[in-house]
Amino acid sequence: MSKRNTPPLRSSGINTIQINAAREMHAQTVRARRMPMPTSGITTPSVQPTAAPATPPRHICNNPNNPQCLHCGSVIIPSPRATLPLEDNPSISINDWTISSRKKPILNSQELDIWENEKLKGLTLPEMIFGNNYIRIENSKQHWSIEFNALDALKEVQLQDSGIRVAYSNDWINSKKRQNSTNGAQRFTNDVNDDSLNIIHKYDWTYTTRYKGTESSPESKFRLDNDQKLPLDKLAVHDKILFYDDMILFEDELADNGISILNVKIRVMNERLLLLSRFFLRVDDVLVRVYDTRIYVEFDENVVIRESKEFEGKYQDVLAKHRLSQSHDPKAALRDSNWVAQNTPMIKRQCEIIQF
Amino acid sequence: MDTDLDVPMQDAVTEQLTPTVSEDMDLNNNSSDNNAEEFSVDDLKPGSSGIADHKSSKPLELNNTNINQLDQWIEHLSKCEPLSEDDVARLCKMAVDVLQFEENVKPINVPVTICGDVHGQFHDLLELFKIGGPCPDTNYLFMGDYVDRGYYSVETVSYLVAMKVRYPHRITILRGNHESRQITQVYGFYDECLRKYGSANVWKMFTDLFDYFPITALVDNKIFCLHGGLSPMIETIDQVRELNRIQEVPHEGPMCDLLWSDPDDRGGWGISPRGAGFTFGQDVSEQFNHTNDLSLIARAHQLVMEGYAWSHQQNVVTIFSAPNYCYRCGNQAAIMEVDENHNRQFLQYDPSVRPGEPSVSRKTPDYFL
Repeated sequence: MSKRNTPPLRSSGINTIQINAAREMHAQTVRARRMPMPTSGITTPSVQPTAAPATPPRHICNNPNNPQCLHCGSVIIPSPRATLPLEDNPSISINDWTISSRKKPILNSQELDIWENEKLKGLTLPEMIFGNNYIRIENSKQHWSIEFNALDALKEVQLQDSGIRVAYSNDWINSKKRQNSTNGAQRFTNDVNDDSLNIIHKYDWTYTTRYKGTESSPESKFRLDNDQKLPLDKLAVHDKILFYDDMILFEDELADNGISILNVKIRVMNERLLLLSRFFLRVDDVLVRVYDTRIYVEFDENVVIRESKEFEGKYQDVLAKHRLSQSHDPKAALRDSNWVAQNTPMIKRQCEIIQF
Repeated sequence: MDTDLDVPMQDAVTEQLTPTVSEDMDLNNNSSDNNAEEFSVDDLKPGSSGIADHKSSKPLELNNTNINQLDQWIEHLSKCEPLSEDDVARLCKMAVDVLQFEENVKPINVPVTICGDVHGQFHDLLELFKIGGPCPDTNYLFMGDYVDRGYYSVETVSYLVAMKVRYPHRITILRGNHESRQITQVYGFYDECLRKYGSANVWKMFTDLFDYFPITALVDNKIFCLHGGLSPMIETIDQVRELNRIQEVPHEGPMCDLLWSDPDDRGGWGISPRGAGFTFGQDVSEQFNHTNDLSLIARAHQLVMEGYAWSHQQNVVTIFSAPNYCYRCGNQAAIMEVDENHNRQFLQYDPSVRPGEPSVSRKTPDYFL
């Protein structure tokens, strides 16, 4: 969009403030990431809540900014919030598996121009794109990796009319048509005619994506096997989390008609990991959608399971379920994707597996 | 009832101002629902807070007593502490007697500093005043969206309204699409009022007050300022003067467009694929500026990474003043200074650094499944 073509910026004086603020924030960020260590000496080591027998650490923290966990007292705290020109890029290795992530601010005007005019031609981009963020799971020995990023997710957005309209669309369009036909020549002073009351630029403005991650190999290594299940018993155990991250890939507020957001999070334990990529859509008074993709890796068995589920329901139906439970703010639940996923019918499930 | 918002109404300033709302605007949003307790229709009716029940027939006059009162409130608020419910009621009543006398198109002189969305990011608003210079030494024009999304909508809007009442000729606060009953129920302000006050009373007072905010401003007859953008039903600025603005933001019609529409690369008028809302092209902006002898349309409403962005070959500028929007976007914010000679200068700034409030997301790792 041309509006993003900003001329060179001015400013004297401001720069210093910006730099100081940036430095201060960076310092804060680094400080905040260091977990408070139990002061050695007087204090006796506290009893670990997990009674599991102490296993020797076998993982390696790859980024010096995310300090080695001295087995391991501390979880690798994910990265700063996306602020300023900061970047955070933590990483951890276990056996042949390396997990890394990166967080940066939303795309700037220059990057947006490239995405809009080259990489994603035909799509009006969502308002916030964290285009430099990713979470990657890699097996160096098998030369295989899977990554979750915004660009590939947005490539799966349909470039055609989704048919979905905001709740008051009919009223809005009809009132325009009525005005056009009754007011005759006077009416719309600037030529809005019936033609321009049709939507010309067609793309899925809800940014619905069935993105399941980007594999490194051109051919997917996954084999469809819907009988597979995630081992919930193993995942329910509160093994110590060694690495955790949680990030948005893109988000759009649908011009205040709801939300469309793709979020990815991951937790890595000593023996396994779980990643959840969730697309959440709420069109107020119209519908809700939750498209989940989970990746599960069991490190010692070199097995990867990918499960995808699609939930969809009418807004009013889902809201009605919430009415049963009394609440102060009835719409709060509809902002909570977990609650929505639990209270919306599943319309599709698929499971795939890789056994190296 | 079919309120035809496009029929020019009497001048809002001379008319006895009473909030109106069209019945087909379903405030409850749940036609099928038998009014849940908290959302009884009566409660949501414009005017239910009573702040406008005893409007004055002439603008509020400042005297020593109320100046002291206002200064106390401002001091209190600048520490990011909310006012008591009673004080909010007093403040809103005073504000009605200031805002009801402002025109739909508020005339403003240079120099002035023009600001975009703030969205409840109170600390960043204080940063804005640091960057732009303190009010009232600097004149300010805010183009709406003070509430929702940020954590301090209550403090932000209380502060701006208190400043407005205290320095009515130094600061102008326009209405954004978030200054509305419906939008604030979805995007946080309603929620925040419940949390901070234990009831929706403060929310009712402020949303009743929002109906009185002016919707556009005109800087020295050259820069037309508003939250969203142009409307196909508005060709001249005089047509804006004829609107009845004292009402909930309607779902359609010129007032809705002024608070919602967006500039676009495509020429002419377009309709969003969402099925509502206009986009306007460069030809439209050029024509509007030509017809009204303007040099620029300044608007807010859209997030831009650099805090400001030109469009339509400098016929339109977008200004966004919430840095690191929603505490996660990493964008810069900007304000636009217009000096006595109509020179424009953009000041960009980053989120304020607040000791004690880490810039780090301390989301505790959770055992999600």
